[in-house]
Amino acid sequence: MKVELRNVSKKYETVEALRGVSLACEGGTVTALLGRSGCGKTTLLNLAGAMDVPDSGEVLIDGESTASLTEMQLTVLRRKRIGFVFQFFQLLPTLTVLENVELPLLLAGGRGTEGRARERLAWVGLDEKARAMPHQLSGGQMQRVAIARALVHAPDLVIADEPTGNLDTASGERIMELLADSARKFGAAVLIATHSAEAAAVADVRVRMRDGRIEAVDPS
Amino acid sequence: MNGKLLSSFILRPLRADPARTALTALAVALGVGVVVAIDLAGAAAAGSFQSSLETLLGRTDFEITANGGVNEVWIGRLAALDRNARYAPFIESRIVIDGVGTVALYGVDLFAQEKVSFQGPAAPSDPDHAAVVSSALAARVGLAEGSRIAAFQVAAVVPAKDVEFLLLDIAAAQKALGTYGRLDRIDVTLSPGENAEHVEREMRALLPPSYTIAKSGTRGEETRKMLRAFRWNLRVLSFISLVVGAFLIYNTISVSVVRRRPEIGVLRALGAGRQLVLWLFLSEALMFGLVGSIAGLGLGRVLAEGVTGLIALSVNALYTSSRPAAIGLSWETAAMGLIAGTFVSLLSALAPAREAMRVEPVEAMGRGAHEHAARIRWRRDLAWGGVLAAAAVSCSFAGPVDGKPFFGYLAALLSIGAAAMCAPALVLAVTGLSRAAVRRCFGAEGMLASRSLAASLSRTSVVVGALATGIAMMASVGIMVGSFRETVLVWLDSQLRADLYIRPLGRSGAGQFPPLAPALPGLVAEVNGVEAVDVFHGLEIRYRGERATLGAGETEIVRRFGRLRFLDGDRDAILRSLQGADRALVSEPFSNKHHVRVGDAITIPLGDREASFTVAGIYYEYSSERGFVILDRATLLKYLPDQPPTNLAVYLRPGADPATVSAAIQTRAADQMIAIARNASLRRDAVVIFDRTFAITYALEAVAILIAILGAANSLLALVLDRRRELGLLRFLGASPRQIMRMIVLEAGFLGVLANLLGAALGFALSFLLIYVVNKQSFGWTIQFHPPLGLLAAALTLVFCATVAAGVYPARAASRLRPIEAIREE
Ligand SMILES: Nc1ncnc2c1ncn2[C@@H]1O[C@H](COP(=O)(O)OP(=O)(O)OP(=O)(O)O)[C@@H](O)[C@H]1O
Ligand SMILES: [Mg+2]
Repeated sequence: MKVELRNVSKKYETVEALRGVSLACEGGTVTALLGRSGCGKTTLLNLAGAMDVPDSGEVLIDGESTASLTEMQLTVLRRKRIGFVFQFFQLLPTLTVLENVELPLLLAGGRGTEGRARERLAWVGLDEKARAMPHQLSGGQMQRVAIARALVHAPDLVIADEPTGNLDTASGERIMELLADSARKFGAAVLIATHSAEAAAVADVRVRMRDGRIEAVDPS
Repeated sequence: MNGKLLSSFILRPLRADPARTALTALAVALGVGVVVAIDLAGAAAAGSFQSSLETLLGRTDFEITANGGVNEVWIGRLAALDRNARYAPFIESRIVIDGVGTVALYGVDLFAQEKVSFQGPAAPSDPDHAAVVSSALAARVGLAEGSRIAAFQVAAVVPAKDVEFLLLDIAAAQKALGTYGRLDRIDVTLSPGENAEHVEREMRALLPPSYTIAKSGTRGEETRKMLRAFRWNLRVLSFISLVVGAFLIYNTISVSVVRRRPEIGVLRALGAGRQLVLWLFLSEALMFGLVGSIAGLGLGRVLAEGVTGLIALSVNALYTSSRPAAIGLSWETAAMGLIAGTFVSLLSALAPAREAMRVEPVEAMGRGAHEHAARIRWRRDLAWGGVLAAAAVSCSFAGPVDGKPFFGYLAALLSIGAAAMCAPALVLAVTGLSRAAVRRCFGAEGMLASRSLAASLSRTSVVVGALATGIAMMASVGIMVGSFRETVLVWLDSQLRADLYIRPLGRSGAGQFPPLAPALPGLVAEVNGVEAVDVFHGLEIRYRGERATLGAGETEIVRRFGRLRFLDGDRDAILRSLQGADRALVSEPFSNKHHVRVGDAITIPLGDREASFTVAGIYYEYSSERGFVILDRATLLKYLPDQPPTNLAVYLRPGADPATVSAAIQTRAADQMIAIARNASLRRDAVVIFDRTFAITYALEAVAILIAILGAANSLLALVLDRRRELGLLRFLGASPRQIMRMIVLEAGFLGVLANLLGAALGFALSFLLIYVVNKQSFGWTIQFHPPLGLLAAALTLVFCATVAAGVYPARAASRLRPIEAIREE
């Protein structure tokens, strides 16, 4: 799996959120996006995750431009190959923990999905909370459930937008370990936007952004 | 109150959400529109009591009437009282004229009429053939002074644009109708200064006790009184739409409170008092109420045009012949509509507005916490539901108040309340029990749909309550009308046993009995193939100040051929006991209205005598609410020897062909204006009239359902708007736009199923109330319970489909949300 951004620009009304960004992420590596608020991290993640298309330039997923895909093809791409993790966890309050994890498989029309969901839940260490409702969990636990959900369909690309932004340091470390594991053990390309240097330390590649441009890549 | 606050806190959100705002206002407008339309149409259909004829004849003070007609000799005797009064004869009937049709015929003292000016030489010289016609009739048929109509010559045309009538001199009218010596009424007009009380007392002393002296205009009053229960029922039915609309207002204000809880918290923190918060939300409701009601007035005026004809039809078939008056939007009706709409809006907003009032300044609670509270309350609501249901049951046992089934309607209202209170428990039970099945059948979308409905429990319950009320109304009225129809069909079968029915040609409404020629029964009996002829005399009578129908027939023939059904007792014995005796049958409505039981004696003034009859039996009767008293023909003729027959029932010999016999009778009675109806066609006509009579109730239900469906669409739209973030998230997790759409449509489907379940249960309960309490108390007849299951199933399916269709627009809106924008909103 390879995601590649080639000279990508994106403008929201008058704000130029991205200006000619090029970046590539390989399977098995963790890439961290760093930079201050408003520099365009989320915008970049949305493009890489095929949730949005650039105004100019191309986003290539395994060599295919996301702009050339239909809405249904994009949906299938997300179902099979991409997993998302968010800053505010975004669990569905009406579903149990297990059902939250299972949801991507169910939306993809899968049957007999409970086993795989339990497996992932065990992997993040929360198998005993399967029947609980999200509001009964701590923030760190919720984010672990969200990671289990993002990885339940064994995606090739994991996109995490400030996954530790709402957590204490210890919980944050645990989350970053899990994300790193998903690259190392499952071979996914992991793309993380973060403000925290500790979190970035786990990454293989650190990309520093400023005003919609890539300022530095480490190691280059 | 602070106008600026109102505008920024209430008006702006309303403008920002125009579809929902418009839907809510439309619901109020429809509700008020229906109430106004029924009120206007009811008044118009009850008829114009001041007819142009009355205007022409001028003011009178008293009317003297008698069951079976007034003997004209009394005019001379009254004149001898030596009072300054005028005693004018009056005859009222209808005749059929070739090429013209049925025309109202009045017999008066033609040449004493001050307001008729005779021009042309012909008229007064030949009073037996002079006729005055109304301008409406003249215009239609093309008559002018001097032209001929039937055997008469037009002596004058009088202005009356709305009614067609023919005015003859009294003797000419008696000749034309064959009622020599008899009048329908004597009109008494006092000269100025004459003492009305004295005159009345003297007339009373002179006239036979069986004669009625009434102040003029009481007839209109009587009609109004007779129609009271009918109009009242119709009016109650029309309020259903407003009740359903109330759920919608409640829903809209609740949504607006729930959405703005954090804002309310901020307002309170900034120093706003609780009262201010309460008034803010009440004024939102007031706005919907006022705007909706004003639109509803216009709508009602338009709807009334369509409805008047339908209601007039029922009035004509069931009560009295009347012609609809012009529809006028009176100040009273307008005020009633405005007040009803605004009041209902305010009332339904009270609970959510109080909820808003209780928000604490520090509170920035989200919806989750609020819904959690609703979840805990379902037990309490269910308990309340039980209490209301118990109250409804006890109300259903109470009797009528002033002839109106007041407690019956209270019971219905309580039942609706009970059902609404049970809605949360039902939603939780059904979504809980169907969990596994829904997930298996509808996958992730089904699971999400069912969970989200259970999660927004209070909102879901209100929508289900509103829809269920609409459905229950439809189902209950459907069951009532269906049962009634089946009952009437069975009854028609027992009532209509003869092969041919003969009556005078022309239209006539309830309470009108144009005569047949006395020789006709003899002629008919001689026709080949005729086995027996039941000669029937119908006449309108007064019994204890209310109008009823007195009928007399050959009870021996009815016994041999008929199948009259009695509430109780042996048919054969009852009919045998009637023959030639002072015994009578009464119809079930008569028995209930006047509290008459078998064995009781009823006194009926007949001619110039007071006749007393023992009630021999009570029979089922559904044709008219006015009530029937049936005598043996010989008994009637004993009291009223000159009473002409009004209908003949002809029984044929086995094997005789009805068409042939009918043709033979026509030939024999060629000079008579008669209409012969075959048994089958009479039954068909009866069913057609029945169906037309109830068309209006179906129209009312359709509006109630429509409002409920608007409510469902409205609520789903709110649900979509409130769940934008969640819907965006689902797209991130791999949901396609189609799946999002399916999810919302499934929610609509769920609402439909829940509402159908609750609505059907409530509908059956209400139908019992309608059949055994409301109808029984209003009209006095017993309807057998025959739910039209096929029709009900079809109607419920239709409502379900409409609910699902109502989900399509919100579903499309949901599927078009841009996920990255939706998820950014935190
Ligand atoms: N939907 C939108 N409409 C208008 N402007 C937007 C939109 N999304 C992002 N922007 C703007 O684009 C710029 C980049 O936003 P983006 O969300 O990518 O920043 P970010 O790096 O993720 O910031 P943060 O660290 O605060 O999440 C910002 O100036 C933001 O205001
Ligand atoms: Mg961001």
